[in-house]
Amino acid sequence: MARRYDSRTTIFSPEGRLFQVEYAMEAISHAGTVLAVLSKEGIAMAAEKKVTGKLLDLSLAPGGSGMGGEGTEAWMGGGGEKIFLLNNNILAGLAGITSDANSLVNFARNSAQKHLFSYDEDIPVEMLVQRLCDMKQGYTQFGGLRPFGVALLYMGWDPLYGFQLYQSDPSGNYSGWKATCIGSNHSSAASLLKQDYKEDLTLEEAKSLCLKVMSKTMDSTKLSSEKLEFATMTLHPESKQPLAKIFRTSELDELLQKLELGGTPDEAIGAGEGSGSAVGNVAMST
Amino acid sequence: MELNGGSVVAMIGKDCVAIASDLRLGNQSVGVASNFEKVFPVNDKLYYGIPGLASDVYTLREHLRFRVNMYRMKEEREITPKTFTHLVSSTLYEKRFGPFFVEPVVAGIPSPTPLDPHPRPFISTMDTIGCITTPKDFAVAGTAADKLYGVAEGLWEPDLEPEDLFETISQTLLNAVDRDALSGWGVVVHLITADKVVTRTLRARMD
Amino acid sequence: MECSFGITGKDYVLIAADTSAGRSIVRMKSDENKIKTLGPHLAMAYGGEPGDTNNFAEYIERNLRLYHIRNHFPLLPPSASAWIRRTLAESIRSRKPYAVNLLLGGYDTTTDLPHLYWIDYLGTKAIVPYAAHGMGVYVSLSTMDKWWYEGMDKREGIEVLKKCVDEVEKRLTVALKFNCILIDKNGIHKIDLSEQDPIAKVEASPEETAVEAPNPPIEVGA
Repeated sequence: MARRYDSRTTIFSPEGRLFQVEYAMEAISHAGTVLAVLSKEGIAMAAEKKVTGKLLDLSLAPGGSGMGGEGTEAWMGGGGEKIFLLNNNILAGLAGITSDANSLVNFARNSAQKHLFSYDEDIPVEMLVQRLCDMKQGYTQFGGLRPFGVALLYMGWDPLYGFQLYQSDPSGNYSGWKATCIGSNHSSAASLLKQDYKEDLTLEEAKSLCLKVMSKTMDSTKLSSEKLEFATMTLHPESKQPLAKIFRTSELDELLQKLELGGTPDEAIGAGEGSGSAVGNVAMST
Repeated sequence: MELNGGSVVAMIGKDCVAIASDLRLGNQSVGVASNFEKVFPVNDKLYYGIPGLASDVYTLREHLRFRVNMYRMKEEREITPKTFTHLVSSTLYEKRFGPFFVEPVVAGIPSPTPLDPHPRPFISTMDTIGCITTPKDFAVAGTAADKLYGVAEGLWEPDLEPEDLFETISQTLLNAVDRDALSGWGVVVHLITADKVVTRTLRARMD
Repeated sequence: MECSFGITGKDYVLIAADTSAGRSIVRMKSDENKIKTLGPHLAMAYGGEPGDTNNFAEYIERNLRLYHIRNHFPLLPPSASAWIRRTLAESIRSRKPYAVNLLLGGYDTTTDLPHLYWIDYLGTKAIVPYAAHGMGVYVSLSTMDKWWYEGMDKREGIEVLKKCVDEVEKRLTVALKFNCILIDKNGIHKIDLSEQDPIAKVEASPEETAVEAPNPPIEVGA
């Protein structure tokens, strides 16, 4: 019976539901977890990488030894699969169909640059979220197309409202959060976050909460940079301008070791042979 | 060009480049602002200057910022001076029959790559529709271009060290704009070396 | 014979514009308001081709209002200046360009800084501490060069503005009356330049001198 109302996104079922949109959300709850925690000093975000394995050639992926660092290029450190820079002041973590996500990231970057072009200012965080949600909503209404199978967490800073964290889903709904989670196990992660979240967290505490919840949510017992992407949004200490930073594998492993959550994956020993390149970044894990 | 005034000069040194502009924005003979910079950063090894019609200076700069930001995010690397020059050139030629009234000057040091471990400093300049010239010594543009040619021809020499290059470009621009009614009102100089950029604002004749 | 001034001080912007409208040497109206409030902390003095001026000013006003309603927050002065400049820059290369020059003044409530922009019909934008448009340029800029200094308080700003108006009266052949407003953290206030101390009235009764400015229908956010 349900099938009759499945084939098109634009048709309501007799119960008043849009099945294609619900299926899209279902697709997301199998994707790698992304979670983020907001604090007064900044925002921390962690994302679970699903595409791993020692035969994967990451030698040309972001995070190579020649890329990244503090300053304007800080976002170039790692990421590439789950966490993306959308604009100077906004990072996003994506869960869902990667190819859909890439298209959304491109749309978001273009929208942000159009705003910069018209108004000579970084796009306010909520405005960019709205741009993307308008687009996502369109695909639940106009015929012949399927919705984007992507949920996003956005973390950003703007001069009007400071640090902000938003979440959006394939229906085009969005909401603001202090700590939230998308992807597989998102409900259990959300309840863990609810349990341990405190007002007035420092950035360090937010980072640690983020990774601790992640370690409980993911299947593996020990976290490592091989299966994780990590990023922060802070203000540059001197210029007070937003500083997006996607951690390099070595920086993330260092952080994980400090928090005693892992950092040295057993598989990483000798991974240099498998990474497909002598300078492969997987082998750079400490 | 002669409406708002303004001049830019760039010079090559030994493993360094410098680019400088005056700070005047005028409305014909009336000076309006003495804080109008015509040189903008692309990244910390690449700057460009665009003297000409001030409206187009803003518009072109915002166009280029859009394109460079998208390039940086998609490529996950910085644009090289040569690629950037061609980006500017094609952006200008897009408006072949209704051009931006600007004469851009690009100056930068390319990052070392495995294929080119010791890249040479790079400057280039264009006309209003994007015809590129890549001099080995210096590039000038703006209302004081003719004067700048004369002074630069006399002061510039090959393989100047960073501090000497700074002195050369500063004296070139300061003395050239003193002979131009539409340029002046202060000067800003950017000295680009492999590891850092030094920016200095110089006091000049304010009349 | 049009004339407008703008002066920034420590925590405010003053904008003044003459009130005459006419053709060549004939004045047809002597109480034309050529200052438009664009938001709670943003206003501009405009001049140029009659017809273009009002049409352009209303176009700007309503688009900024729309932005405010859509986003629950007005465009800050730097962003508004960038958008207005872009509008003029696109217009100049269109079939029928707007011939409008303006002085845009605003107070940035997020950084507590005053802003003044000199913008002309070509889309030229200068960020300036003081500026003038029209015939008054030739006599008032030198007056402001001499008397303006960084961080003036409101009364000192008014004094400089009065000197400019006096200079116009002295050197230009036509007699002009001036409209004047002051923008500070509390919003936009009407200033009567004929009074001995116009600031006293603003301080004594801010509500009475407040100029009605476009606002969104509901208060949102912090």
